[in-house]
Amino acid sequence: MSTGFDKRLIVAWLALSAITITQLGVGSLQDGLRPNAAITSGAIVIALIKVRIIFREFMEVRHAPVLLCRLTDLWVVVAGVSLLGCYFVGMAFSSGFSLR
Amino acid sequence: MSASATGALPEEPPGSLLHRIAWHWRYDPKRELWIAWWTMLVFYQLFGLLFFVVTRTQPPPQPWWEPTRVAQWFDDHHYGLLIGFAFVFIISGMTALMNALIAYSMRRMSVSRAFAYSYLVIYALSTLPGMLLLGIALTVGAMRPDRDPELIRWIYDFAFMTFDGTMGVFLVGSLVWMVAILLDENRVLPKWFAYLSLCNALTEVVVAPAWIFKSGVFAWNGAISYWLNVGVFVTYTTVFLTLLRRMILREDFGTGPLPDLSTDEAPEPSGSVRAAG
Amino acid sequence: MTKVANAQPRPRFVPGQPDMWAFVLFEALVFTGYFIVYIIRRTQSPDLFLQSQAHLDLRVGVFNTLVLLASSWSVARCVQAARERSFRAALTNAFLTMLFGFLFLVSKVLEWATEIEEGFGFTTNEFFSFYYFLTAIHFLHLLIGFVVLAIGIYQLWSPARRSQEMIETCATYWHTIDFLWVLIFALLYVMR
Repeated sequence: MSTGFDKRLIVAWLALSAITITQLGVGSLQDGLRPNAAITSGAIVIALIKVRIIFREFMEVRHAPVLLCRLTDLWVVVAGVSLLGCYFVGMAFSSGFSLR
Repeated sequence: MSASATGALPEEPPGSLLHRIAWHWRYDPKRELWIAWWTMLVFYQLFGLLFFVVTRTQPPPQPWWEPTRVAQWFDDHHYGLLIGFAFVFIISGMTALMNALIAYSMRRMSVSRAFAYSYLVIYALSTLPGMLLLGIALTVGAMRPDRDPELIRWIYDFAFMTFDGTMGVFLVGSLVWMVAILLDENRVLPKWFAYLSLCNALTEVVVAPAWIFKSGVFAWNGAISYWLNVGVFVTYTTVFLTLLRRMILREDFGTGPLPDLSTDEAPEPSGSVRAAG
Repeated sequence: MTKVANAQPRPRFVPGQPDMWAFVLFEALVFTGYFIVYIIRRTQSPDLFLQSQAHLDLRVGVFNTLVLLASSWSVARCVQAARERSFRAALTNAFLTMLFGFLFLVSKVLEWATEIEEGFGFTTNEFFSFYYFLTAIHFLHLLIGFVVLAIGIYQLWSPARRSQEMIETCATYWHTIDFLWVLIFALLYVMR
């Protein structure tokens, strides 16, 4: 097993796992149950960072033609913008409109 | 319509559209395939028109309405339902040609004929929940507006549940086509289309909660159980119409791999880089 | 191998069939659609969603995420081993991936069973409808993933097969299960 590749994979996996474990602490970030934009944005952004690491390291997009790199990055951006956008717009209009 | 890419056909003579169509009718060996393909294209346009505009049964109305409100809906849609579905019943036979074309694509593949035959059987049966039962139920409902509203609502529920809630019949058919494409060595249809069929099948599974929820995103007109599903289905249908057209253009009536289109047409979309051997 | 050789840029290649990548991106878009609907509905009833979410066990969510991340790691190692023609190592990693997948499956089913026993089912409220819907559709992808892994193992088993492209294609599918779960975890368990 080529050690360079192997090491990179382990580092990626450890980083992803470490990030995930820190999310255990989210419950203690606030008392009471209130919507929290900071936690939510953080959760979505962190998830997308993890997804991008999975794309680039595990799925080997790093070594892929530029088009594939751009497409995966584009999806990450689209997902981030739409999820965060819907969250903030939705909270602003909370109980104002309904989606069937 | 262009002549076969393999060129055994004499040149299509110049002339008016009617003249050229008549020439194809007499000489083109692929005329049956083209008839089937145009039938498919025309059918889907008519389907959209009849269901979304004439009968206005799509997008579906609310599942949670009271019987009197439902009776009101029948009243508002009375003539649309009767006239629209009369046309739907007339054109329903077009589905035979459409299913035959898709089954033909499987016959042209290197896989067993069983795929084509099972697809035909599944899809022949699926016109019932896919179209006819809704039409029959709603025309029955529209036929006598003075029925008891509870009965009218029963008819309404039956109609929309059979149409929007029974995606399972299409699911297995999609999977049959998908497996045939993945196993095929004649490159009749690209592998990415097989995966798109899987996506389509998975979004059809998502329709199942419509049986449980009468409102919200999982209802028969919900954002997830209806709109997302329809979005994927329309994409899927547009894609396979295009791919079947390319298949017909590439057809050489042999049994080996289908040749790619000649360079003056658009290139074959499959990008898979085959390793040697 | 010298450091210089390692530093040379590899020629760029698409891992597995480009067709599978078309699937991955399309499916990611469809799931983004589901997530958007979830978030919009959540913002319309934030208190209901927050209170219901409190009944989920974050530790189980974290555990499930760690398991799938490990499975992605093992399937990536499998691909690399196959590339270097160490097929025994590749097979071991493929089976390890299956094991992680199975661990996730058992954990998920137990989690669902616990929640149902506590009285939180698909129709309990809107949050739980979304919870079961998202985790179930993901679970379905996982089940398909086992079939895909089996195809990969079948390829690796006999010297007559072993198409590198097929193995990479199977791995690409498996990673999709992982990254979709990462997002589902963030939206169901972590966001407030």
